[in-house]
Amino acid sequence: MGLPTAPLVTIAFKDLAKSNAANRGMPGERICFLPHPMTNKTDAEMYAVLLGNDPVTNKPLMPEIIDALTKPLTAEEEKSGKVTPDIGPATYVDTAENLQRIYLDNNMTDFMPIILPTEEKVQEMLKGTSHKPDEVIGTLSAARGAQPSWSFTVRHVAINAVMAGARPEYLPVILAIASTSQPALFSSTSSFSRMLLLNGPISDKIKMNYGIGAMGPFAEPNAVIGRAWTILSKNLGGCGMPGLSYMGTLGTNFNYNNICIAETENKLPDGWKPFHVQKGFKPDDSVVSIFSGWSLNNVAWFPKMPYHELINNWLTHFFSFGISAATLLLDPTVAREAKEKGYNSKEELSDYWSKNSKTPAWLYWDTHQKELEQAKAGVEPYASYLKMGDGDIPFQRFYRRGRPGGPPIPNPKSSIEIVVLGGETNTYWAGGDFSHVTSVSIDKWT
Amino acid sequence: MKINRRKILSLLGISPAVLAASSPAIGEPKHSPKNPVLKDAKLEVVNPKGLPPPIQLIPMAPRLPSLDGKTIFLVSDGFAGADRFLNQIAIWFQKNMPSVKTVYRLKAGSYFDDDPKLTAEMKASGNAMIMAYGH
Repeated sequence: MGLPTAPLVTIAFKDLAKSNAANRGMPGERICFLPHPMTNKTDAEMYAVLLGNDPVTNKPLMPEIIDALTKPLTAEEEKSGKVTPDIGPATYVDTAENLQRIYLDNNMTDFMPIILPTEEKVQEMLKGTSHKPDEVIGTLSAARGAQPSWSFTVRHVAINAVMAGARPEYLPVILAIASTSQPALFSSTSSFSRMLLLNGPISDKIKMNYGIGAMGPFAEPNAVIGRAWTILSKNLGGCGMPGLSYMGTLGTNFNYNNICIAETENKLPDGWKPFHVQKGFKPDDSVVSIFSGWSLNNVAWFPKMPYHELINNWLTHFFSFGISAATLLLDPTVAREAKEKGYNSKEELSDYWSKNSKTPAWLYWDTHQKELEQAKAGVEPYASYLKMGDGDIPFQRFYRRGRPGGPPIPNPKSSIEIVVLGGETNTYWAGGDFSHVTSVSIDKWT
Repeated sequence: MKINRRKILSLLGISPAVLAASSPAIGEPKHSPKNPVLKDAKLEVVNPKGLPPPIQLIPMAPRLPSLDGKTIFLVSDGFAGADRFLNQIAIWFQKNMPSVKTVYRLKAGSYFDDDPKLTAEMKASGNAMIMAYGH
């Protein structure tokens, strides 16, 4: 840009800020650090920070900021040219025990033992696809635009699939996932979770479990494919390095397996389409869909009211980081009851929920400060909302309305997705703030 | 139960070929010095890493001899509190270095997006920038 700059970053992001500066070609960037967090400080407390020390260098902060803008550059700071990041040797030779340790210590695993990727095993894995090993699949980044985008080939994915314990017949699924350029581990302080949904003939072909315990550790492909996504995100995108490319403050246990499931297509009520068909694929296509969210409720409750009404009430009161999208995972028994109550498709049920669910008053006003001012000034319908006190506001939040501040979407559609799975042992269901990101063909990777 | 060593090795990711190297010859004791135990057998495995992009080093902008009479842009990337903190910096300059002019701006876009319009404005009328990132 050509202007001397003093970047100010809170100490919680020290490693991230330094590595970002280095990745963008300025390893010596003069970053000044502040205490963390700053957002909740009063103006007087913020001024006191300026009079204090940088918590990293322990030097007075304001003189340091002035130095950052005025102290002459060193030879290192004036350097140009290209550098190639070191990713280690092409191969490692050691005992099995030591090799497991090398992979662990270099953050190349999910910290559980791996299958060591010998050349023999990689070649066996590559038999799972007709694609050439050196075909470049795409790029992967922990946060596109903010973190570097790594590139990778079919062979790279095969190596990581071996490590996760995959069979060659799972490779097309794992390649399809990798081709989306979506990481399992996203560099956000909010600890994103991901979900993988398989549809089409692939589920039976590789023996995915979509019956009893469909979301649990009861089948090899469910366990291994989800695991492979996390491992390859680390090794093919530089993701999942805490403090550098992963900032989720709590993290999430979902990232071990990324909720790798398949839809129970043979138990869908008449007229209900499999998820991939809803997204434009043919029933005989094998497809993997990716969802992104944060949390999931597994609901065990036997209501007097029908389940679709119970879920409508749950949608009104469900609250998490994401408050405008939801995905419902219904046991086939719950789906059948909704069909018996007159919902002839997933779309009809989704529309019912979008139109009839409301928003708790506290959540509505917390996220609609401008409308609160209008309500106080007597502007309708907000003034009537305010008179409702703590009641539920008739504001439907589960619609795709477009980004805040952006142009509104005409005729917005429901943002509620429905997936049917499970073993029919009871009328249970789960719901969470997951939204659909993309669906891609698995067949093209066979 | 009979243990299939070949299968165990395969599950561990070790080529069964090591059996040939580690199996004792007929008549030799199992762990004689001539027959290293299996756990010491070495194997070669491949690096699973993809290809990070090469990094183009960028020389930093020349520094100013002093801030006297200069214009400093105070830029927020939009995270909560950055605007208030930068205002405190403006107050500090008013009190301690009154010849410095400060100009506050909110960068457009997400925290990692460029804002070419603001960059052009700063190049045209500024001498330096202090940028506050969240949180």
